[in-house]
Amino acid sequence: MSKQANLILIKLLLLNLFLFSACSTSGPIFGKHPQTRVFEDFVLLKTVRGDTFSSLASTYLKDPDKGWLIADFNGITTLTPGQELIIPLSPLNKGGLKADGYQTVPILVYYNFSENKSDKMSVSKDDFGIQMNYLKVNGYHVISLDQLLDFIDYKEQLPEKSIVITFDDAWGSIYDIALPILIKYGFTATFFIYTDFIGGGKALTWDQIKRLSKQGFDIQCQTKTHRNLAALKKNESFKEYFTSVETEIIYPKKLIERTLNKDCKYLAYPYGETNNLIIAILKKHGYRAAFTIGRKPTSFFVDKYRINRSVIYGNYDIEQFKRELSVFQKNELK
Amino acid sequence: MKKLITIFLPFIILSFFQGFTDPVDSFGDSGDKFSKKISEKTLGDESIFQPSYYLSKSKMFERIDELQLALFYMKIAGALSPDNPEISEKMSDLKSKIDIKSGDSFEKGRKFYNQNRFEEARIQFLTALRYKPDHDSAIDYLKNNLIPKEYILYSPKKDDSLKSISEKFYKDPGLDFLITYFNDLGTDAEPVPGQPLKLPVLEPDFNQTAIDIRQKIIAAKDFLEKKRYQEVVDLTDKILKNDRSNKVAIDLRNEAFYQAGTRLSHQEKHFEALNMFNKITPGYKNIDKAIQDAIHKEFLKAELLLKENKYEASIQLAEKILSHDPSNRATKDLINTAHCQHGRSLLIRKKYAEALKILDETDPVNDCADKIRSAVQKAITSQAESHYLRGVKYFLNEELQNAIKEWEKTLELNPSHDKAKKNIKNAKSLLEKLKKVN
Repeated sequence: MSKQANLILIKLLLLNLFLFSACSTSGPIFGKHPQTRVFEDFVLLKTVRGDTFSSLASTYLKDPDKGWLIADFNGITTLTPGQELIIPLSPLNKGGLKADGYQTVPILVYYNFSENKSDKMSVSKDDFGIQMNYLKVNGYHVISLDQLLDFIDYKEQLPEKSIVITFDDAWGSIYDIALPILIKYGFTATFFIYTDFIGGGKALTWDQIKRLSKQGFDIQCQTKTHRNLAALKKNESFKEYFTSVETEIIYPKKLIERTLNKDCKYLAYPYGETNNLIIAILKKHGYRAAFTIGRKPTSFFVDKYRINRSVIYGNYDIEQFKRELSVFQKNELK
Repeated sequence: MKKLITIFLPFIILSFFQGFTDPVDSFGDSGDKFSKKISEKTLGDESIFQPSYYLSKSKMFERIDELQLALFYMKIAGALSPDNPEISEKMSDLKSKIDIKSGDSFEKGRKFYNQNRFEEARIQFLTALRYKPDHDSAIDYLKNNLIPKEYILYSPKKDDSLKSISEKFYKDPGLDFLITYFNDLGTDAEPVPGQPLKLPVLEPDFNQTAIDIRQKIIAAKDFLEKKRYQEVVDLTDKILKNDRSNKVAIDLRNEAFYQAGTRLSHQEKHFEALNMFNKITPGYKNIDKAIQDAIHKEFLKAELLLKENKYEASIQLAEKILSHDPSNRATKDLINTAHCQHGRSLLIRKKYAEALKILDETDPVNDCADKIRSAVQKAITSQAESHYLRGVKYFLNEELQNAIKEWEKTLELNPSHDKAKKNIKNAKSLLEKLKKVN
């Protein structure tokens, strides 16, 4: 055999060793399960000690965050060794449709926070803690806006009890009061900021926003100056109005993207007000969705540029909070 | 080196061919066949993963109308037992059931949509999608047609300019900048005939189209007051074409149909009234009661016709009622009674064949029809026998031609009357012999 052939063979051997080692790192298809049957659409297996929904999802769905899919499908909340499980390998119900209705996703919006006393527009630290604890204890999955939009675009299934948390206006109290509680419960959230407010007296600073973004929180846009996008100002011509709202939409998007190096693709309408012209501008400039204020639940067939969010007011008690958490709309689908 | 090759070559080849394909990469539809088994490892307890368990789960989901879950579990049973023809057949049944149910719901949805009954349309499209999650047309209606558009598409005509289009659409030539902006055109661009332009629909405060809508609504209200219902409907249809969720227009349209229907009802034109009522959004005013009243009044007419023994007219009317209200039990009963009484009347008039034909149109489990049918059969047998005996008498009187005629009548009524058949044969043979003798 020539020297060159030897060299090729050695390279093949190295490649082979690399492939073997790659397999052992990521785990073989069976994982550690002695009883497994893997088909194109599903996996059947018997659980063993040490299994978690997340580990199973990681092995079989290639995504540890999809453990809920296994839990929801099998109708269980805990795992015990020896349990027979079915793992569907593709989403079976992207729209969350059932014979008696369809899935809805509550989207909460908070404004300001206070240490002790609450008023209508500001939630106290204790109340926020109680509300987040309620979500955790009762098995709600706090999802991101990207996950929500994948659901709305009929691409992905969501956990049955999914919920979105958002904050408007960029009050500094969010950082001091709400953030530690969100971190404590491991919840993600989206902060809609209007950029002219940033760095002002009681507002978040850009440094804080950068830190939030680095921690994985989502920073999105709530215009430049918080003007009502749906109404002409006194003595404003239509042309002036158009130029003004276009700036409100384009400027903060560019600023956020440049500052944080992340996409800004969602907008929260100041005062929840919008109109067709604003939506047309948003679409032209690549916004994926936009959010208003209202209590109509969000289903997958919602208008993406008029997505409702429920305001959580400071004077809500836990019962009022619970009423904003509807995850299913009854309606016979037969 | 040769030694090395001998040792490692089989491993190299094996590692390339053992397949690194990941079964979980694909999230696509599995297609029509059983799910392909990719790998298997069952050690120890062999009792797990029994097809019968998944089969019973499938049946349970089918019972509660969760057909996709039923199909999924059936696929598992099929994958575990790929040679079972029963599972294969059941899977194919389930798939056709899914197709039928999703197709029916989709068609209902489209019908509602075309009638501007958008909420009901949405529910039907969702139902179609629940049965068949990849129903592309249902998705399209839900995600596109049922979501209001922020712009309309305008196809420029010859001689159109951006300013003239702006004037036509916004009642202001100065808003042509909106057209250039949303269609990425230069300021001096000219529209190209046949190349559609996006024109954003503006809101009331600065939207001439909305002002037009308001004017149309005022005109429609005026027509309604003057009871010119057709004009109300024409105007509101135009409004709803641009703004399909306009509640005022929907209410005006409903009211026009309601008043027109009520007027027709007062003129005893109940079916024409029903045609009006059926165009109204369910739940509007007391529309259900108005529909039921109109149907009941026509039912009373059908009942009266029956009392007057005008069976055919009564049945015809009742069938018309059923075309508006297919589940109306009283009307179905009335049709059965009419058929039955008609059958009895034909029996009395000895029109047995007609009677049987009428009775065949009744409900198969109708007692009355059964009784009449058996009386008709009895009468036929008795009449056949009477012809037979008359034939015998003729025969004995050596009137062979008349005898044959009577037996033939017997056979008409009772084709299985063997004696009549035999006697005809004998009589004809005798007649032949007599002819030869003479």
